[in-house]
Amino acid sequence: MHELSIALDVCRIAEERVGTDDLPRITAVGLEVGAKAGIEIDNLEFCLEALLGNPPFGHARPVIDRLDGDELRVTYLEVEDDDGP
Amino acid sequence: MTVRRIEVREKVMAKNDELAADVRRRLAESGVPSLNLVSSPGSGKTSLLERTLDALGSTLRMAVVTGDVQTQNDADRLAARTDRLVQAVVTGGACHMDARQVSSALEEIDLEDTDLLFVENVGNLVCPASWDLGENAKVVIFSVTEGEDKPLKYPRMFERSEYCVINKTDLLPYLPFDMSRAVEYARQVNPGLRFFHTSALTGEGMEEWYRFILQLAGVTEEAPA
Repeated sequence: MHELSIALDVCRIAEERVGTDDLPRITAVGLEVGAKAGIEIDNLEFCLEALLGNPPFGHARPVIDRLDGDELRVTYLEVEDDDGP
Repeated sequence: MTVRRIEVREKVMAKNDELAADVRRRLAESGVPSLNLVSSPGSGKTSLLERTLDALGSTLRMAVVTGDVQTQNDADRLAARTDRLVQAVVTGGACHMDARQVSSALEEIDLEDTDLLFVENVGNLVCPASWDLGENAKVVIFSVTEGEDKPLKYPRMFERSEYCVINKTDLLPYLPFDMSRAVEYARQVNPGLRFFHTSALTGEGMEEWYRFILQLAGVTEEAPA
C-alpha cells in the first residue's frame, strides 16, 4: 500500500549515489525484496518503472531479486559510461 | 558504451529506522515504556484507550499519540477522557504512521512527567507492521466481528506483535466466531503472542489488561492487607 514511498526512497538512494560518485547514466537499479518485507512486488515494480523512466534517470529499469526474509535494500546500480575517444 | 555495476547495499527506508531508534532512546532515557496499538479500522483501539484512560488515569500518567488518515475524531474522543495532552497525527492519506511523526509528537510531551506512552496507529492490518515507531511492543487488536482467520490473512501484523487483544467479546453470543480457532490461528503465526479477551464497550475482561499496563509501567498493585 505504501510502495510509492518505498520507490521514492529507492530513487533517493540512487540519486544520492549519482551525486556523490558523479555517475553517468543509470541503466538499472538492483533491489532485494524479501517475502516478509510487506511489499507487493508487482506494485513496487510499477512505481519504480514510472519513476525511473523520468529525469534524472531516463530509462533505468528496476531489477528485483525476491528473497525469503524481510530484506528491502538497493543492492547495486548499473551505469553506462560514454567510452572516451 | 561500457556498462558497469556499482555495489550499493543500502537499506530502503533506513531513515525511519534511525528515527525510531532515536525515539526508543529518548523513551528509554526517561523510563517511559510504549505500546503501538495496531489493528484493522473499527476494531476498538480508541475504545480500549478510552476505558484505559478512565480506569487508570488517576494512577498512571499516560501520554497518547493517535494517528488517523483524516479527522481528529479519535484525538477528541481521547482528550475528553484525560487532562493530559493527546497528540493527534493526521497522516493526510498515508496508510501508516512513521517514526518521524512520533518523534515530532514527543516534542510536545513532557516525558519526565509520563509513565507510559500509547501510540494508536492508523487502522490498517497491513502497512503499520512495516514501520518501527520506536515502541517497546506492538499490540494487535482483533475484534470478533472480523472472523477467525484474520491472523492467517494478515500474518505479518500478528508476527510483529507481542500482544493480541481480542475485543468486542460482548458480541460473541450473536456471532458464529470460534474463539479457540482464532487463538489457534494467531498462535500458528506467532506462538509467543500473549492474549487478552476484552469488551472495551462493557468493560468485561479489562482487569487483566489493566494489570498488564500497570506492570509495564512499573506500578505494582499493593497486596491486600
